[in-house]
Amino acid sequence: MAGAWVFAEITRDGPHPAAFELLAHARSFDDDPTAIALGQGATEAAAELGAHGAATVYACDDPVFAEHPGRPAAHVLAGLIEAEAPDVVLFAQTYDSRDVAGRLQGSIGSALMGNATSIADPRHARAEIFGGTKIVDVELAGPAPTLILLRPKSIAAEPTGGTARVVPLEADVPEDIRGARIVERHEESASGPRLEDAKVVLAGGRGLGGPDAFAMLDELASVIGGAAVGASRAAVDAGWVPYSYQIGQTGKTVKPDVYLAAGISGALQHVVGMKGAKRIVAINKDADAPLLAMADLGVVGDLFQVLPALTEEIRRRKGS
Amino acid sequence: MAVLTVAVTLFWRRARSRLEVLRAARPAARTDHPGERARRELSHVLGQRKLFQKAAPGVMHAFIFWGFLVLLPTIVEAMLAAIDRHWTFPYLGHVAWFAFLQDLFATLVVVGVAIAFTIRKIQRPDRFRGSHMEEADRILLAILGIVTTLLLWNASRIALGIAGHPAAAPVADGLSGLFGAGRGTEVAERVLVWSHLLLVLGFLTYLPRSKHLHIITAAPNVYLATNHPRGYLEPLRIDLDSADADVRLGASVATDLSRKQVLDLFSCTECGRCQEVCPAWNTGKALSPKLLIMDLRDQVAKEAPLITAGAAGIVELQPLVPNAVADQVVWDCVTCGACVRECPVDIEHVDTIVDLRRNLVMAESRFPNEAGAMLRGVESSENPWGQSASARTDWTASVEDIRVLQPGDPPPEILFWVGCAGAFDERAQRTTQSIARLLTAAGVDYAILGPRERCTGDPARRMGHEYLFQMLAEANVEILNGAGVTKIVASCAHCFNTLANEYPDYGGAYEVVHHTELLSALVAEGRLRPDPAGGRGSVTYHDACYLGRHNGRYDAPREVLRAAGAAAVEMPRHGERSFCCGAGGARMWMEETEGTRINDTRFAEAEATGAETVATACPYCFVMLDDAAKAKGSAVRVADVATLLAESTLAEPGG
Amino acid sequence: MNVVVCAKLVPTGTPTLGPDHLVVRSGTDAALDPGDEYGLELALQLTEQHGGDVTVVSMGPDEAGQAIQRALAMGASRGVLVSDPSLRGADALVTARVLAAAIGMYPFDLVVAGVESTDGYTGTVPVTVAEILGIASVTAVRRLEPSDAGARIERMTERGYDVYECPLPAVVTVTAGSVEPRFPSLKGIMQAKQKPVDRPSLQDLGSRDLTATQTVTAVTDAPTKAGGEVVQGDEAVGRIVELLAEAKVI
Ligand SMILES: Cc1cc2nc3c(=O)[nH]c(=O)nc-3n(C[C@H](O)[C@H](O)[C@H](O)COP(=O)(O)OP(=O)(O)OC[C@H]3O[C@@H](n4cnc5c(N)ncnc54)[C@H](O)[C@@H]3O)c2cc1C
Ligand SMILES: Cc1cc2nc3c(=O)[nH]c(=O)nc-3n(C[C@H](O)[C@H](O)[C@H](O)COP(=O)(O)OP(=O)(O)OC[C@H]3O[C@@H](n4cnc5c(N)ncnc54)[C@H](O)[C@@H]3O)c2cc1C
Ligand code: SF4
Ligand code: SF4
Repeated sequence: MAGAWVFAEITRDGPHPAAFELLAHARSFDDDPTAIALGQGATEAAAELGAHGAATVYACDDPVFAEHPGRPAAHVLAGLIEAEAPDVVLFAQTYDSRDVAGRLQGSIGSALMGNATSIADPRHARAEIFGGTKIVDVELAGPAPTLILLRPKSIAAEPTGGTARVVPLEADVPEDIRGARIVERHEESASGPRLEDAKVVLAGGRGLGGPDAFAMLDELASVIGGAAVGASRAAVDAGWVPYSYQIGQTGKTVKPDVYLAAGISGALQHVVGMKGAKRIVAINKDADAPLLAMADLGVVGDLFQVLPALTEEIRRRKGS
Repeated sequence: MAVLTVAVTLFWRRARSRLEVLRAARPAARTDHPGERARRELSHVLGQRKLFQKAAPGVMHAFIFWGFLVLLPTIVEAMLAAIDRHWTFPYLGHVAWFAFLQDLFATLVVVGVAIAFTIRKIQRPDRFRGSHMEEADRILLAILGIVTTLLLWNASRIALGIAGHPAAAPVADGLSGLFGAGRGTEVAERVLVWSHLLLVLGFLTYLPRSKHLHIITAAPNVYLATNHPRGYLEPLRIDLDSADADVRLGASVATDLSRKQVLDLFSCTECGRCQEVCPAWNTGKALSPKLLIMDLRDQVAKEAPLITAGAAGIVELQPLVPNAVADQVVWDCVTCGACVRECPVDIEHVDTIVDLRRNLVMAESRFPNEAGAMLRGVESSENPWGQSASARTDWTASVEDIRVLQPGDPPPEILFWVGCAGAFDERAQRTTQSIARLLTAAGVDYAILGPRERCTGDPARRMGHEYLFQMLAEANVEILNGAGVTKIVASCAHCFNTLANEYPDYGGAYEVVHHTELLSALVAEGRLRPDPAGGRGSVTYHDACYLGRHNGRYDAPREVLRAAGAAAVEMPRHGERSFCCGAGGARMWMEETEGTRINDTRFAEAEATGAETVATACPYCFVMLDDAAKAKGSAVRVADVATLLAESTLAEPGG
Repeated sequence: MNVVVCAKLVPTGTPTLGPDHLVVRSGTDAALDPGDEYGLELALQLTEQHGGDVTVVSMGPDEAGQAIQRALAMGASRGVLVSDPSLRGADALVTARVLAAAIGMYPFDLVVAGVESTDGYTGTVPVTVAEILGIASVTAVRRLEPSDAGARIERMTERGYDVYECPLPAVVTVTAGSVEPRFPSLKGIMQAKQKPVDRPSLQDLGSRDLTATQTVTAVTDAPTKAGGEVVQGDEAVGRIVELLAEAKVI
């Protein structure tokens, strides 16, 4: 039985949802995976981790992990690994977990695999590369444990209803290796992420007909979470939204995971600003609109019907 | 004598500083084809052709100019007669016709000055905004003084009986009644001849520092004007491998300007004709071609002592941008050439503006942020929108039988240069498809280069990135020559201009036609038979700058429209005086935030004709006017000439 | 403030894998990773404001010299290229070890890298470098100013940003869009040719343990997305939701 560990990232709101998915991955080859939870609320999270299949949870509630992201966690993990010798440590491909994994690799010299979508055993995993066009199977050598970063939402979390044995940990992190310290936190959830950073961009064009319709996009953005609202130049020129919204040749360039355009025809001058999006959805009532042709998903329809229905549907799903 | 010496010395001292600035400037190779230059001299200078582009000011100027030409000997005569009252020219002084001419032209000058004052004081056209009005008044008064003293002097001579042929000089003769025959008139005659003389000499010393220097500089400036079509830019060769760090990358300081460029500055009359037609100025931008020239002139004049003394490079000259002209001014220009066309003394604003841009882009990397995407696209993907080369043939999907010229293939009779907009812009693609269908229907042997075609480099060049342009030009010429291409049809006015006028400098000499020319010929030969009964309604044609004014192609597009059954209506500004759509000079890739949009202004003019359709012949114009139409929610359709012809000619025009 | 910038050469088109399952890196069009231009720009701005020099370090085939030239044209003052046939197929650890060794040869107060590369997007190399060098790190940085404690840094988070106080020297990774990378002037391109580019050998770097721990055993094409699917009416909402779920954003 391979010793599979899961690095359960502890956020300010409790365990990162991806931690439960990691446990599901781990359980495909280890019935009793171990979770490592470091940060304020770790002990409390242990129950939930246990309910998703963690047999053991190493927990430490020391604030050092939240104050100094990355380095102290890698330090504690390295010590634990030396003592317990697991075969593999799974991480979520998030900024914070990735930083821990990278640090850890530097100190223990193990193989690290990023962007994995599934894992067969501690030495074999699979990833999508080149924007999801190729699937590669990878074999990992080097000293144990291997470090594998799994993309969130690759598989669904599976509650098992179990309980975990909780092992409290001491955070023994010397002052001189704590590294950078967080001194302020700023939440901008009201305004959402910047257009350039957003994973989802919702863009409106002349088809919106006026500034009020942009409120529909704002609402959809807040329901999805992590989405930003942009616009075509036509909407900007009409004065419906400020220039900072403009996407295109003389505006911003965005490369989100999903780009959803409503009431935008798809002029080249617009397209150059969003063609790097991984997935494009276009809603247009004109079946000949060029953007429909280049979209991964084209919706021929009236945006005034589609957008509210979409918002409702996502809200319903999230609520359930 | 002493007066003359003082005046001439003063004049010379002042003129010399200007001359030395000129000498310090970069030489300009502008003396080829002397015949053509002489002909231009005759028409533009002697014939005052460009001045007559405006009727009243033209007459005004011609009267004064011709007047002074004729009166030149008279002024010499006055100088000598100031010393010896009875001196006169051996022959001229004795013939009646010369007396008549003197009298006539002196009077015409007075009339000219009167017209000038009427224009300046009563009409007050906006084109004078920013010009030196008092200086102009002073000059006009001096001219008036010079000719009235002359007329009166002649009158006094008639009264004294010194002048022959009083009957041939009716005005002076009439004025002679003012004088008696006695001693008083003798004194008056002396006073008049000397005031005339002093005025003339005073004028002479004033000249070099005033806008009136143009009476000396205009003639050489016209002679040195370019012989190329106006769309042509002079290459600035850049060799990165051999280049030392100080290679000239456009115009940074005064001494980077060429002699023609400096002479331009000293030739400006501040007449504002350029300003009046400039689309940037007319839509509330900072740029006025007149003010640009004046501001550059002022800086060059200010730095003249430094330039002439510090040839050794001891002094640091101030960069022209932003000291003489602001950055924004340089970027406001759409290179439409309206100013150059209008300028009576053949000042070449566009060349100077592009030279300033070259320095900003290549040396300073300072330009409107949003244009960076275009430069990156041209640099890395060889098209301004950063599309992949393989997508160049996407438009062929819905058109049958397009031959893509493969390496080693026999060359077609005519190569269809699609252009980046024509290949990638979904609106321009419709034009491209129409052209292809029409050429196929007419049985033309043509092919496209497909993925091997690159941007001609026009956007980069107009933006000031001469090096990027040079690399693209060389690469394209290599492909074209390698493929044995001899004749090209281009659908983009900018590609057309670059291929036809600028590629010869890079070893690419082809017969280049615009699609409207080719289509018009095919119709004339009967190879395309449009059905005029189809009726395209009333259509107004927008002349693309790079097709019309820059290259003189006005008729072909109109002929095609006529053949297609369109009822043509003209906009007030059309043909040579067409108003730009706002996309030239790489403005296609810059935001337009100041004032009103040029495309909106132009579209409003088109819409006001009442036409149902605005026809274009260039993809940039198309996008610009189409955007303006949509922004306005107008029912007027914007379509390329080729699309309209296809609709009248083909059973299935597609697109 | 002396800054070392890590800059990677990446294929410009869609990258491809060779028969050995490694990315084809020679003979294809490649350029400085656009993501690294942000870090470079930040470094240039810092040194312009606070003095110091920018050194660019790259590991890659000889063609990676292009990426270095571009960086030098933008204003960096020295290039360092580590190129060795044995490094072909290097994995993240090898890359980090080589970069750390190369960086260590130069004086620096700050190391700047991209958040993740455009072709490999593992996103761990910079922190691994920091660990090997034994210094602090902050990833996903959008702003950095020197401060008494070292540097005051803003790091992007899912909901906004956190402000860090970071001792120097440190490694930071810079997010796209945080600064506007300059377009190199021709003058810059010409001057770049005069600037020094060091090419330390692996012996110079004293790097050991350079065998990759990761091998690709099989490559398959991902099932092509239907692409260009057009729907109408009632299905629409359902299909959009599915797509959002596939994209793992809801
Ligand atoms: C110099 C220059 C720079 C430019 N830069 C940019 C730029 O940076 N970014 C940019 O976006 N554009 C830019 N443009 C403008 C570009 O050419 C287009 O005009 C613009 O993108 C069109 O915007 P749109 O798609 O919103 O409007 P339109 O082209 O008018 O399209 C509106 C669409 O909405 C659809 N629609 C209408 N009502 C509904 C409804 N109820 N439900 C569903 N669909 C509906 C219509 O069918 C139509 O397809 C630039 C143009 C120029 C000349
Ligand atoms: C699609 C793909 C996936 C891969 N996945 C893995 C994997 O999971 N594990 C693994 O060990 N290897 C992997 N590799 C091998 C890969 O070659 C190395 O990981 C690579 O050396 C660094 O990875 P990266 O480019 O993803 O770096 P990232 O960590 O994404 O790079 C972040 C930043 O580090 C700097 N940097 C990275 N590489 C260099 C360099 N060579 N020179 C200068 N600066 C640099 C740059 O600033 C870059 O922006 C993968 C390669 C590909 C093409
Ligand atoms: S070229 Fe056109 S835009 Fe430029 S200055 Fe002349 S008139 Fe104005
Ligand atoms: S540049 Fe020419 S047109 Fe313009 S003000 Fe001067 S003389 Fe007149």
